[in-house]
Amino acid sequence: MKTKFILLFLGVGLMLASCSKYPPSSDRLLEDMAIYTKVDLNVKFEEYKTFAIVPVVSYIDGKDSASITTPNAISLLNRITSNMTGRGFKSVATNAHPDLGINVTAIKNTNTSVYYPGWYWGYPGYYPPNWWGYPGYGYGYPYYPTYVVTYSTGTVIIDLVDLKNPTADNKVMIRWNAYIRGLLTTTHTENDILRCVDQAFAQTPQIKTTPVSGK
Amino acid sequence: MKKIILILTVLVLMAGTTQSQDQPVSLGFTPSSYYTFSWNTTFTMGDFNKWVGNASPAGFDLGGRYFIKGGLVAGFNIMWQRVSQSYGYQTYYGDDGSAITSTNYRFTWMVPFQGVIAYHFIPDKMVSPYIGLGIGGDYMEHHLLVQEYDLYKTRWDFSLTPEIGALVKFGSYSSWGALVAFNYKYTTNKIEFKNNWTSKNLQMLNLKVGLVLIVR
Repeated sequence: MKTKFILLFLGVGLMLASCSKYPPSSDRLLEDMAIYTKVDLNVKFEEYKTFAIVPVVSYIDGKDSASITTPNAISLLNRITSNMTGRGFKSVATNAHPDLGINVTAIKNTNTSVYYPGWYWGYPGYYPPNWWGYPGYGYGYPYYPTYVVTYSTGTVIIDLVDLKNPTADNKVMIRWNAYIRGLLTTTHTENDILRCVDQAFAQTPQIKTTPVSGK
Repeated sequence: MKKIILILTVLVLMAGTTQSQDQPVSLGFTPSSYYTFSWNTTFTMGDFNKWVGNASPAGFDLGGRYFIKGGLVAGFNIMWQRVSQSYGYQTYYGDDGSAITSTNYRFTWMVPFQGVIAYHFIPDKMVSPYIGLGIGGDYMEHHLLVQEYDLYKTRWDFSLTPEIGALVKFGSYSSWGALVAFNYKYTTNKIEFKNNWTSKNLQMLNLKVGLVLIVR
């Protein structure tokens, strides 16, 4: 009799314990590094030859913001530059009418929050279209941008701006975004940052001066 | 809700046990039917094993079987199962120009329901081995969790499940017993994430261990 009850309780307990559809939140891996990219599939990157990168990283920490040129920031900018030149683009000065512009932003949020791509455009260090030679213009997306949830681990954002083809409604379009999440912690090294930049480009074969059959 | 299920199950168990204590000891009996409640462990196979390689103890099975003639029985099984596994950094591509590289968590949960025919070789004995075949379908959800992105597909299928097992009575005239069974399951289900993953004809092995309510 007693054995039967023990067996029954074990059985019922196991059944009820197994009923969850989703894994526990601790298994959902939200705090791990993630490299998310989105590219405009309609753009032909072989039509672009030159690029310029903003020489600072726009840094946002809660309500505070700054333009930073720390060694890590410079390494980040240099790595983006080397990836672009590796894809056949020529690095030129920002006042040399580049075909593409690159803005880099680092966001260190201390609270879990949801933000939409583009809200950081007004912060110092993120250069508006008039800085690139398009006064009165705004930035725009040719594709539907996906929201990104950011955590205390932070996010680095790379925006690739189309300076060659401003739209008739006075917009300079973003042709590629990269969101690298989980970098702004003490546990990640400079090499991690550089590796993530490489991965962002690796998963976007479309960015190249020669035609590719991208995914 | 869970408490109510627990209390009802205990009451049913107590009623069955009381009945069994009134019976004289003899050579046993052939039941008219029996109902099974089993804990299920799943071992994925083939393409399904590439999707999730871990064996999973997350599953249970409810069944009822009715003796038609001699040792031949017919009945049903309804189950719930989940298999899951975490994986390291991998890159997934969307159709819209998006790509994400990160650790990921894959899981499939399923609700199989089958009609069952089986043959018990010695149905009146305390240990009654059988062979059986389940025919039916499954509802499956395949999830790929990459950070906050939950990509998933739902699919219905047709399935076949040959099974061997044994019903073990707790006494010659007991209304309760144990079930141990092992089956191979073939389904027409598939996992398909465009650009990223395709697994077809999902197969698995299942080990079932449970309690049986025996009706004379």
